[in-house]
Amino acid sequence: MQFVAGKIVRNEGHGEIFYRLEVAIPEPVEFTPGQFAMVSGWPGNDPLLPRPLAIFRAGAAPKGKGTAEFVYKVVGRGTALLSGMHPGERLSLTLPLGRGFDLGRDGRLYWLVGGGVGFSSVFPAAAALAGRRTEFEMFLGSRTREHLPPKEWTPGGSAPGRVHLCTEDGTAGYFGRVTEVVKERLAGLSAADVSRLMILSCGPREMLKEIAFAAAERGAEMQAALENHMACGFGVCWGCVVALRDGEKVAYRRVCKEGPVFDAREVVW
Amino acid sequence: MVKPDLSVSLGSLRLKNPVMSASGTFGYGLEFAPFYDISRLGAVVVKGLSLAPTPGNPPGRIVETASGMLNAIGLQNIGVERFMADVAPQLEGAGAVFAANIYGRTAEEYEAVAERLSGLSSLAAIEVNASCPNVKEGGMAFGAAPEGIQRLTERVRKATDKPVWVKLSPNVSDIASVAAAAEASGADAVSLINTIVGMAVDHRTRRPKLSNTTGGLSGPAIKPVALRMVWEVCRRVKIPVIGIGGIQTAADALEFLLVGAAAVQVGTANFRNPRACVEILEGIEAFLREERLSGIAEYRGGLLL
Repeated sequence: MQFVAGKIVRNEGHGEIFYRLEVAIPEPVEFTPGQFAMVSGWPGNDPLLPRPLAIFRAGAAPKGKGTAEFVYKVVGRGTALLSGMHPGERLSLTLPLGRGFDLGRDGRLYWLVGGGVGFSSVFPAAAALAGRRTEFEMFLGSRTREHLPPKEWTPGGSAPGRVHLCTEDGTAGYFGRVTEVVKERLAGLSAADVSRLMILSCGPREMLKEIAFAAAERGAEMQAALENHMACGFGVCWGCVVALRDGEKVAYRRVCKEGPVFDAREVVW
Repeated sequence: MVKPDLSVSLGSLRLKNPVMSASGTFGYGLEFAPFYDISRLGAVVVKGLSLAPTPGNPPGRIVETASGMLNAIGLQNIGVERFMADVAPQLEGAGAVFAANIYGRTAEEYEAVAERLSGLSSLAAIEVNASCPNVKEGGMAFGAAPEGIQRLTERVRKATDKPVWVKLSPNVSDIASVAAAAEASGADAVSLINTIVGMAVDHRTRRPKLSNTTGGLSGPAIKPVALRMVWEVCRRVKIPVIGIGGIQTAADALEFLLVGAAAVQVGTANFRNPRACVEILEGIEAFLREERLSGIAEYRGGLLL
């Protein structure tokens, strides 16, 4: 975890709602898919707090420097201001933060489920899995075709695994919600496959909740990347907690520290 | 040029510089070790400790507002025993000067926490939170009026030999009188301000944005209020005053020193910039050099009226 000054390399809109941000940072960082950064840099004190963005990619740049990439959607004033910033302008970043997906061992069957901009957490997991001897399928859902990630962003090179697209208005892929597809597939899975299934998911809370219930019903494991409003992002403000099961009781755990990825069975949905 | 003297006195306690972290914004201090050497700070003030661990309020704990934020964390903390066993030795190991913020549901609980902490030889001071707006028993029962502060300060004073700082609420009609009551009851210093009670609602869902309905406002939005209150209290009491409220930059910190604060605490700024405290410290030193001042003492309280 480090706090660094970054310089925008690119910050471009894609389709109707997504922005792709690339930032040059002083040195390369390693990250686990699902981890995030706190990003700020717009002038002034309003909005005051940095914004949590999932790390989409990170790598090395010439002369020992590093680069970090993010995909974000404009949802409020902070991201709106960010979307108006240009290459060459400076950002502050704290990264990598939180606990990412546990990609376990080979031989498992992975389902990666991304709803809306949630693909930005799921794609890095797909990229990591693509380099291993393990099976995975990806389920991506959005309201409409324009809100699906551009095809060229899909990781995996020549072996991207199977990708299932779903749109609520039927303009691309399956006509309906991604939860319906995942639930249907779950219902048809053999007990042997259920036992080696691991669902990794990120998206709206309602989506995660529905899939978590369906997974629990069949006894499949699932990791859910949660979101919340955050002030600090590194565990000191205690503002971003969610309720988790702790034996018979409920305990409040920080999305930024103990999460953002949690065992879906522990979350009090 | 000679290095300016950044040290300050808080009664009998000498700090190497006036920059401290504000309780509740700095965790237990160690969380900042990856960003800089925390022993550089005048003091680390840790998150409010209670006798037993406290779960805090349900989610829906923070809301961003214009140039500030509301929080209703509800004093979630690990409790004094775990702090003493697990955290304090690490703070010592890091070479940090540290103070403990404490709170209780009753005066007896405050007393018990203070007594327990007194055994900690490395502890620099106890800051009494008489002002949390988010918990019914978070001190406001005491902090709302001079009589309550007097009762609480006297009890904690008797329970410990450590320097006692009383952290004051701005949610009162006359903060100088409350500060005077703390002074008369044996406080070694007062620190102010805690957060200002505020509220945020969603006009579409028609619900409050915080699970607690109301919360405490912090950040640059409250700085003018804090500065006025620190100035008023400095004119009223003789004990040192620790200025808190919306400090983001060295200039902000200097403003509090200018109106008479002996030291400052940096709070919400730590969320936005984990290095805020040291950057403010470096900025203060640079300013003193630039102005060719011998140290903090030459600048402090020098407001021209």
